[in-house]
Amino acid sequence: MRITIIGAGEIGYELASILSSEKHDVIVLDRDKESLSKVSESLDVLPVEGNATSVKDLVKAQVGDADILISVTSIDEVNMISGMIGKRLGAKMVIARIRSDELTDKNSPLSPSDLGIDVMIHPELSAAQEIAQLLKRSSASDVINLANGKMQLIGIRLEKNSPLIKQNLNEYAANYPDLTFRVVAIGRRGRTIIPDGAVTIQSYDQIFILASTNDINAIIKTTGKKETVLNSVMIAGGSEIGEMLARILCEDKTKKWSIKLIEPNYDKAEELAIEMKEVMVLHGNPTDPDLLVTEGINEMDAFIAVTDDEESNIISCLMAKHLEVKKTVSLVSKADFIPMAQTIGLDAIINKKASASSEIHRYVRKGNVVSVAELRGIKAEVIELEASEGSEITKKPIKKLKLPQGCVVGAIICDQQVEIATGQTQINAKDRVIVFCLPNAIDKVTRLFQ
Amino acid sequence: MTLFSGTSAPRAKIDFQAVLGILGAFIFFLGFALLLPAAIDVFYGQDTWHSFLISAGIAFSVGAILWYTFKPKDEIHIREGFLIVSLTWLSLSFVGALPFVIAGVLPSFTDAVFETMSALTTTGSTILGGETSGGFINPDIEEIPKSFLLWRSLAHWLGGMGIIVLSLAILPLLGIGGMQLFQAESPGPTTDKLTPRVQETAKLLWGVYVAFTFAQFLLLWVHPAMDWFEAINHAFSTMATGGFSTKNASIEAFDSAYIDWVIILFMFIAGVNFAMHFRLIRGDHKSFFANREIRFYALIAMIGIFIVSGSLWLLDEYHILDALRYGAFQVLAILTTTGFGTDNYEVWNTVGAFFLFLLFFTGGCAGSTAGGIKMVRWMILIRNTSREIKQIMHPKAILPVRIGDQAITQNIQRTVLSFFILYIFIFALGAFIISLFGYDIMSSIGASIAAIGNIGPGWGDFGPTDNFAHLPYLGKWVLIFLMMVGRLEIFTVLILFSPAFWRQ
Repeated sequence: MRITIIGAGEIGYELASILSSEKHDVIVLDRDKESLSKVSESLDVLPVEGNATSVKDLVKAQVGDADILISVTSIDEVNMISGMIGKRLGAKMVIARIRSDELTDKNSPLSPSDLGIDVMIHPELSAAQEIAQLLKRSSASDVINLANGKMQLIGIRLEKNSPLIKQNLNEYAANYPDLTFRVVAIGRRGRTIIPDGAVTIQSYDQIFILASTNDINAIIKTTGKKETVLNSVMIAGGSEIGEMLARILCEDKTKKWSIKLIEPNYDKAEELAIEMKEVMVLHGNPTDPDLLVTEGINEMDAFIAVTDDEESNIISCLMAKHLEVKKTVSLVSKADFIPMAQTIGLDAIINKKASASSEIHRYVRKGNVVSVAELRGIKAEVIELEASEGSEITKKPIKKLKLPQGCVVGAIICDQQVEIATGQTQINAKDRVIVFCLPNAIDKVTRLFQ
Repeated sequence: MTLFSGTSAPRAKIDFQAVLGILGAFIFFLGFALLLPAAIDVFYGQDTWHSFLISAGIAFSVGAILWYTFKPKDEIHIREGFLIVSLTWLSLSFVGALPFVIAGVLPSFTDAVFETMSALTTTGSTILGGETSGGFINPDIEEIPKSFLLWRSLAHWLGGMGIIVLSLAILPLLGIGGMQLFQAESPGPTTDKLTPRVQETAKLLWGVYVAFTFAQFLLLWVHPAMDWFEAINHAFSTMATGGFSTKNASIEAFDSAYIDWVIILFMFIAGVNFAMHFRLIRGDHKSFFANREIRFYALIAMIGIFIVSGSLWLLDEYHILDALRYGAFQVLAILTTTGFGTDNYEVWNTVGAFFLFLLFFTGGCAGSTAGGIKMVRWMILIRNTSREIKQIMHPKAILPVRIGDQAITQNIQRTVLSFFILYIFIFALGAFIISLFGYDIMSSIGASIAAIGNIGPGWGDFGPTDNFAHLPYLGKWVLIFLMMVGRLEIFTVLILFSPAFWRQ
């Protein structure tokens, strides 16, 4: 596909890197020479220097021929204008990063479609929502909603004493005949396993389970993890993610969270304190142990580190873990750090760039493949495929099919109904199927569906 | 452009010409008000009409001369604003005192100024009745001509919403720096502007004020105990939260539960921010009932009625309905700084009387006609204090002071704090000076707080059944100053005493 990315900042760079590695034709437009040269030096993309709101420069970036125009500068208004111009120039789909929530408001006189924007993304908000999900499922390292929330994919890091250790997956499933679920991936010491029934679970495995949202609680119990209810949370860093998270938790109607937020910049802290009535805003350094202890970190249920300084996020989360905080979430976007998280014992990590790219991936087709989610720290892809008439996959129930190595069928979506796949499941033509597979298996799997 | 045209370039010097010119305009304006009592004299066939006409003539000529000589050419700046407002209130009290002296109603000019200042500032302390320290016998309230009764109530009414605000509303002359004057005269730490143009806001506020006054007039007039003249006077006096009555015994003289309750209702209304009244009339119920200050005000009123009426019922053995009526009346009269009386609270049980004494330090809402410290300032002080306590436990926390959802800026917090300290200091100094004349503690405290809070009656020798005639002249001038300082909310007047104000 032809993709034009406007803005070579943090998010733009990440998207360009992912999309170009997936063999798309990527053009990156930015007015800053330096960020542009960083892109052109390390990535196989076409850099265009220019102004995002200039028609001439957008034409130069071949926006008119783009299948997807992705506008991700740091300024909403610029993204809106370039999106509008791009649509007029002929871009087939426009994705814009819009932080303001006013456009989505029901009473807004202006809707995104008025601006030619097909999809709005807000990476910080997505990251904050993800953290909020994790706080509601305290034992999970990952929570991903699929099929409009009817299904959830949860990641769980197993403890040494988990009852599942040394069972293989067939035994595990047989022990709980009432529950329909599927273990779709296992992260083990930095390796990713797409398991079949014979794989044995080991201690410290991170297992990914796909199940109907209603069954998730029961499934968490089977892993020996206690699902504790979290009520108090300390947020380190009043960056956009921290602020969004605090807002989401304030608006939570199911319970009243006790929220403390630490922000090192006094002016920013004051601004947050004035805006958010229910949040106690503290001015100080999030890695200052004295501050954390005076503010009772050991009595907090959760600690969320979302400062821009990723190293200190990790350190402060480890500190919190040491003080027996039940749940820690750390913002870590550096690819090198992500695999470490499991080793050093962090509960969960959030990656802002991954949030953005997984949002965008839903619209970037590789043939008839749509990636629906990305798993952090492991290499498995979650893709959605549509079974074509007469394709290989529709001929036998799953158990009898010869699926390629490193691939598992997770669920089937048919007429808005979601069904977790088991061995007996028969896939029909036109069904949409969620498949978990290693990157090198994608092509083989795709063929089965054609 | 403005930098070169010079119209709004910063100016170091105070433009005294402009100050005098605008002062002249206000004095001229008072001349019209003086015509109304003259008409009452003519209507009732009394011979004091000439005193009002002469006073009006003086006001017109002095005002016109000042205005035409010193017509302001430039915009008014903040310093001139303070000077104009303070001088206006002082000089209007002097001009307004003239009829008393010319007609010979009051032998002493000091007493005349005291009565006029008390009227304009909506205090309601009177020197009518009894022997003065100068050896004169001042007439009773009921002995003076009706025109003078009306003049007292009318001055209340003009001073209540603010004579400057009124001038802004009807005189087109003050496009220049009107907001400065408006802010300097309006009660409360912040000014609620309803419209983009200050003149429109002033008109709307006066419109609401007139409407309520008229409504109260009708409600009082329908009762047989009051004739139209008394109904007008009491409507003026209530809506301004003044306290002057046409009777020696104040509202008690009418001895009617109906009249008491009507006045209770309108005292309560007068103590609410008029900008909020305007919104309510416009149909904006939400912002009226969600307004934290109004809620707090209503809460204080209810607590006051509960304690005072309860104590009257249980300890003073009033009938429960009488306890409610007299208790509610006195609580509202003090809370809103009106100062009417239906009962002598000095002979009440200690519980009720003491709580009433506490209410002397409250006041109505900001933007109302009430005086005192005001509800919103108390709210900010209370929130600020509880914030300090919380801060001790969380030294690093940033804890904004909030009224409702609104965060109060540090600036306003500081202003409110210094207002409070100055208020208490001036009150204490005033009480001390009164004590130097040989009055006991409660009398001294009562006189001082009644004056600075614009309440009217105090305690002891200045209680609800006494008056201020016997206070020595120097003491009267101290109270005249306190009344003005209280009405203009301390800073407007006190800033004139700071050397920095006069520095070039």
